[in-house]
Amino acid sequence: MKAKKDLALYGVKAMLPIIPGLIPFGVIMGSTAATNGLSFFETMGLNTVVFAGASQLASLDLMGKNSESLIIILTGLIINLRFALYSAASSPYFKKLPNLFKLMMSYLLTDQSYAVMTTHEDEFSSKNDVIYFCVGASLFMAVCWHLCVVLGFVFGNIVPSEISLDFAVPLSFMALTIPTLRSAKHIAVACISMVLSICFYKLPFNLGLIVTVAICIIVASIFINKDPKQKSEVVDG
Amino acid sequence: MGNSYFWGTIIPLGIGTLLIRMSFIFFGKHLKLSEKSQKLFSYIPAAVFPAMFAPMTFFYQGSSEALLGKERVLAMLFAIGVSFKTKSLLISILAGLILVYFLK
Repeated sequence: MKAKKDLALYGVKAMLPIIPGLIPFGVIMGSTAATNGLSFFETMGLNTVVFAGASQLASLDLMGKNSESLIIILTGLIINLRFALYSAASSPYFKKLPNLFKLMMSYLLTDQSYAVMTTHEDEFSSKNDVIYFCVGASLFMAVCWHLCVVLGFVFGNIVPSEISLDFAVPLSFMALTIPTLRSAKHIAVACISMVLSICFYKLPFNLGLIVTVAICIIVASIFINKDPKQKSEVVDG
Repeated sequence: MGNSYFWGTIIPLGIGTLLIRMSFIFFGKHLKLSEKSQKLFSYIPAAVFPAMFAPMTFFYQGSSEALLGKERVLAMLFAIGVSFKTKSLLISILAGLILVYFLK
């Protein structure tokens, strides 16, 4: 086993190329919070309590439309459902850790930390090495995220308007999706999701996302049931 | 924004999100995933993310007259192609931003 510090620093290094994609996201989260009238305390509270940018932006949007709390919570939880997938993928590494350490690693699970973990996990000889690599990568990501949100909140949109920085948000959601589309069926589900979400955009109570995702999951389960036996991806629980 | 509305919404959302994150890390022993649910899990990003970025892009009214204000739709389609090719978060985002800069 290598030194913990070196492993954590390697995690930071592995996270670096992902950070530029995070910057516009965080800055927009901060400036959107400011324009929606949130105080600095509320903004950082939202950022700390939820710590999941996509659902935070969706919540701000829905709060701005005075949506029901229940709808906002459900929408946010559906957006964050993917963390269960990340939790399953990282659980073999964190199995033997003390509970408080496990809690910290759970809290720090993000799209970015998962992406970095899955691309580097095969490089390590022991599971313990992966743990400290993940500590470094995910703590670094968390620090950068909070800093970007503070920047966005304090300076508003610092980037000149000729560059459509807000467009970076849908672009980053897209760029997070494409690498997960590992079969034609995944691509089909993504296409159905795009079309339905546009059709259901005007649904009352802002139920569009919830209904779209529900239908997509049903379609995916039909795909799976029709699937002839094939080798499945092993998620060691 | 009302205080109770704000915190009453984000605290349950935060707790629920943390529980989702903790699920398999804490309760992996008890949550044995069937092969089918494992496969279903892999569809979650495909179901959720497009439902966010598609309306954000489609309903945005841009300034390009030639494209009826829909330059972001074109830039998004281009960036999707780039993302399939490179799988890189950074390059895909830059591709979309640069194209939209020239289109609008």
